[in-house]
Amino acid sequence: MEDFLSFKNISKTYWSDDVKTETPVITPMSLSVAEGEIVMFLGPSGCGKTTLMRIAGGLETQDTGEVTLAGETLSGPDRRRGMVFQSYSSFPWLTVRENIKFGTRYRKDVSAAEKDEITNRYLNMVGLGRYADFYTNRISGGMRQRVAIARTLASSPDVLLMDEPFGALDAQTREFLQFQLMDINQREKKTTIFVTHDVEEAILLASRIVIFSSRPAFIVKEIDVNAVLSPQDRREGNADTQVFFDLRAEILAIIREEYRHTLEDA
Amino acid sequence: MHALRSLFAFRKGLPRRTEVLLGISGFALFLAAWHVTAASGVIRPEFLPTPAAVAQAFVRLFTERDFTTDIVISIGRVWFAFLLSVIIAVPLGLFMSTYRAVGAFFEPFIDFVRYLPVPALVPLLVIWFGVGEASKIAVLWMGTFFQLILLVADDTKRVPSEYIESGHTLGATRGEIMRHIIIPAALPNMVDNLRITLGWCWTYLIVAEIVAANSGIGHVIWSLRRFVKTPEVMAGIIAIGIIGLLTDQAFRFAHARLFSYLKR
Repeated sequence: MEDFLSFKNISKTYWSDDVKTETPVITPMSLSVAEGEIVMFLGPSGCGKTTLMRIAGGLETQDTGEVTLAGETLSGPDRRRGMVFQSYSSFPWLTVRENIKFGTRYRKDVSAAEKDEITNRYLNMVGLGRYADFYTNRISGGMRQRVAIARTLASSPDVLLMDEPFGALDAQTREFLQFQLMDINQREKKTTIFVTHDVEEAILLASRIVIFSSRPAFIVKEIDVNAVLSPQDRREGNADTQVFFDLRAEILAIIREEYRHTLEDA
Repeated sequence: MHALRSLFAFRKGLPRRTEVLLGISGFALFLAAWHVTAASGVIRPEFLPTPAAVAQAFVRLFTERDFTTDIVISIGRVWFAFLLSVIIAVPLGLFMSTYRAVGAFFEPFIDFVRYLPVPALVPLLVIWFGVGEASKIAVLWMGTFFQLILLVADDTKRVPSEYIESGHTLGATRGEIMRHIIIPAALPNMVDNLRITLGWCWTYLIVAEIVAANSGIGHVIWSLRRFVKTPEVMAGIIAIGIIGLLTDQAFRFAHARLFSYLKR
């Protein structure tokens, strides 16, 4: 597998005003993501996995190391790395359609007519055709996240970065959106980093799961999910097969161990 | 009993008609109490004329003297100074909250000026600008400009960082993020703050017109005071109230129309 997105020797320390000391968030670490891969960052909350992803997005700067995309060193955010946030980031002054179209606004690689076409395609892909002319204040949280996903896809990033996009949603909506995202993934084959602390979500969506330690983050284990689970195993209703079950137990055991470390440290 | 209970339902809304009715009743009760007190003769009419006498004085202001011109002059001063504040304060506020360096540079100075009492500045401003229009505009400007900058800066700071970061990752430049994201996101609160600031302008207008002016509503009120024309003085004050109320309602109406998307 060829490297597409690479983290090389990344580390990060925060200054904590409360205790007046430097707190390490990420210990020097390296990680490679191949093109089209969906890598799930899984780990205890507050462990630094979101920080690592934000560094990939250029929204935060690392203390050491570099992030490269197709061999090029990255600095600062741009359209090559699209981001979906946990909190609703769709713009309330625009309708659903206008929000999705906003994703194409700064693209110079497509014509105005193509932008409309792209907008319509993603509007329908996330199933919001009927709500195209609604302002996003008037639709549910799940729909707003679909708008944010569609808007990001419409900007045609090389890498999709998702920061617990379903974290604030209820269980039913979350499950629905996970399956919808699986469908979108299969069509778009977009290189994705997805941060979550939901083990089932990770198994369902991943080509690979990267499990992080508690803070400061280092990689505890990587699991090649594609090698264990077929797409068939992940279909709706198949999430209770034995392989799925075993995988979940294995991951939960690792995470439990990590939480124990956190407690012992404290 | 049931009707009364639904009228006082805890933190619940009321039908629009009931609300209007209650608003009018409150106003009517105030007028009635005023009338009864004034008509009883307990307080001499030089101090408290009846509402009817004030209403007649209100009409006299327009028929016996050129009050319309004074109103126009006052409104003109308020809006001129207000717009002069807005066109400088809004961009400055936007930059102060976007670029920490600009904020750090201006904030301490603005915080200092903000606490200077505007009426106390009037003598100084008259020395600088004379008794003409310039000093009145200066008073109004001093009273609103520095407050407005901080309000705008605050509105801009409250734009969620996810909006701005989304802009970055969608490929917008910093200028585009400012124009296409920060300004539309902050605009509803900003318009609300403009409405409030315009109200302050009227407060300072009277200060300016009482101290040094030969025209305007404040001047009329102050000069009639010398002849103890209490009904006219009260009518003049009420005129300001009416203008204020109308402007405020116009702003609210525009706000509701412009930002209808905020309604859930």
